[in-house]
Amino acid sequence: MSQPRSSYAVGTGLFIVLGFAALAYLATQTSSVANVRQGDSYTLQAQFTNIGQLKERAPVKIAGVRVGQVQSITLKPDHDVADVTLSIDKHYDHIPQDSVATIFTSGLLGDQYVGIEYGSAKQIVADGGSLARTKSTQPLEEMLGKFFGAGGVVDNVGGSYTVKANFTNVGTLSAGAPVKMAGVVIGSVQSVNADPVQLNARVVLAIDKRYNAIPDDSAAAVFTSGLIGTQYVAIQPGGSPDTLKDGDEMILTQSAMQLEDLIGKFLVNGSSDKKPASEK
Amino acid sequence: MSAREPLRTNVVTQSLAQIGLCGLFLLTLLAAIPRSFRYLRETTRQLWFVGAMSLTIIMVCGLFVGMVLMLQLYHVLSIFGGTSASGMVVALSVYRELGPVVTALLFAGRAGTAITAEIGLMRATDQISAMEMMAVDPIAYVATPRFLAGLIAMPLLCCVFCAMAVFGGHLVGVTWLGIDNGTFWSNMTAVVDVRTDIVNGVLLKSLAFGAVVSLIAVFQGFTTPPTSEGVAYATTRTVVASSIAILALDFVLTAFLM
Repeated sequence: MSQPRSSYAVGTGLFIVLGFAALAYLATQTSSVANVRQGDSYTLQAQFTNIGQLKERAPVKIAGVRVGQVQSITLKPDHDVADVTLSIDKHYDHIPQDSVATIFTSGLLGDQYVGIEYGSAKQIVADGGSLARTKSTQPLEEMLGKFFGAGGVVDNVGGSYTVKANFTNVGTLSAGAPVKMAGVVIGSVQSVNADPVQLNARVVLAIDKRYNAIPDDSAAAVFTSGLIGTQYVAIQPGGSPDTLKDGDEMILTQSAMQLEDLIGKFLVNGSSDKKPASEK
Repeated sequence: MSAREPLRTNVVTQSLAQIGLCGLFLLTLLAAIPRSFRYLRETTRQLWFVGAMSLTIIMVCGLFVGMVLMLQLYHVLSIFGGTSASGMVVALSVYRELGPVVTALLFAGRAGTAITAEIGLMRATDQISAMEMMAVDPIAYVATPRFLAGLIAMPLLCCVFCAMAVFGGHLVGVTWLGIDNGTFWSNMTAVVDVRTDIVNGVLLKSLAFGAVVSLIAVFQGFTTPPTSEGVAYATTRTVVASSIAILALDFVLTAFLM
């Protein structure tokens, strides 16, 4: 009817429009519906064997500076690697072909992002091209496993073969402990059982197939990493021309040293030089 | 709807009587909705008054709630090196709890009191009786338009509140404290779900709170004793009853929607 009434109507209409605009903003921009739209950028592909907690729209950084974001993460049904599409600012389009894309974590518990380290190649990656060299995220379990010397790093990569060994005493050796040669982990302990007939410990070692040239007269010993560390099996190569095969038994073994024995020997030998009570 | 003086026994029976009368009043109100469509202009005017006029307070408060939330979270989360999660926590806490509840409390204070006082004064000055004399249904002309306006305005106001809170969080977190812009949004969009957070959290809760606050405000206005003291008490009761109802209902809704 009159003028003020219709201005109410206009104001109310504006209010309703504003409310719905806010709702649309919440639903599309701040929720999982949000998708990537941006201006001048180009895309790169990178394949990772493990993306960890990397999410879409996570930052892409060069030398720690943000240059783009992760556009999409897909896994093709017949692949065992994740295809990650990186959307990078047009400004930074001189990325050498041999650059390395790595998934980093900011801080110990922080978010993951993709870092690109420049290579030295003259050719640069074209728009839509892919970075061949990538480094995946390191699962925490794997890192802890490496750190504590336990957990099979090479557990079943490319398969493994098993070798038996008998020890008179395995100490605290348990299944899953690493098997090392020259200090490098080459396999893991598959099982530790007591042999009911020979009355000793029967240990089955799973060794990576890559290490198939171990001489069959090599010795297996139970060692301790550090003074109070976990125990592992060390293999000391022998000189035989024949190699260990799947299911073979290692003849030469050295059992775990008991700390009590060592101290006992030391005390007996060191304090009184009298008699070799129990040499060996 | 006023008439009978509630039994003056004790607080419990009095409150129960109030709740019962309020429930009956709600039925009358709902029954009058078809009749109130004739007064669509009145509904629009009320929507302007309770909705559009509340925008300023809602926007300013939303901005500051988002800002202070981000500031607090940043300082706590920086202990664990998890500051990048603070945007996500701001969004989730605002969408699920703070947005609907704070908007409803502000709405009760800003619009609920005004509705109660206006209707109470209408009663005190016999305008309601005059309407009845002119064969205008006061429920359909006075009560229902205000109730409907509150019902429509609350979800819209709550959306505005939440958007401003996210904006405030962004302002403090990204512009001031230096959280990465992309991390801020990617964390948020990774966690916020349209159905559980925005539809169930923002829209459903604010709709329920809007209904409760408007009902209480209109009911208190209609049942107030027609004196200036009565209007004053009714206005106070609107705020007290609305606040209790909002927070109690929030607990119930959260328990059911989670």
